[in-house]
Amino acid sequence: MGKQIKWETSLTTAKAKAKKEKELILMDFYNNV
Amino acid sequence: MEKDFIPIQVDFNKNKALVKRFGVKWTPTIIIFDADGSEHHRFIGFLPPEDFIAQLILGKGKAEFNLDHFGQAMQCFQEILVRYPRADAAPEAQYLLGVTKYKGSHDPKELKLGLEVLQRDYPNSEWTKKAQVYALIP
Repeated sequence: MGKQIKWETSLTTAKAKAKKEKELILMDFYNNV
Repeated sequence: MEKDFIPIQVDFNKNKALVKRFGVKWTPTIIIFDADGSEHHRFIGFLPPEDFIAQLILGKGKAEFNLDHFGQAMQCFQEILVRYPRADAAPEAQYLLGVTKYKGSHDPKELKLGLEVLQRDYPNSEWTKKAQVYALIP
């Protein structure tokens, strides 16, 4: 069983984390059809 | 994935402002960008795990390349070629590996060597066509 991904839902939070941790942001646009 | 990226999910139907801002027309769309908002890579559609991972590494490599971190960029492109040589991202990784080596060394022979590997390993790829001009390098 793979590790559960901890998705962010706020772009502001993701950007702040990315800046602090010097990482990239991976944004997944999805659609619950 | 969380080792290299801050993952964020956006519901296409509930976040029209972000959909418009990033020009998203179809799902899934994956966009890789940095904290300053500069986009480095995007891809659409559902991919098998190996292709998906290869695309993520390609995105990281392109970000490193754009930031002039040529050593880190080379590591990413080489990782794709070693671990996922049959992934659709691999020919682009090979192309960018040659370009990155050239950017780091300023030796145009790296571009020609990159073309030779593309012709050998990915003869039908668009990236081999794009590198064709490097055959003119003496």
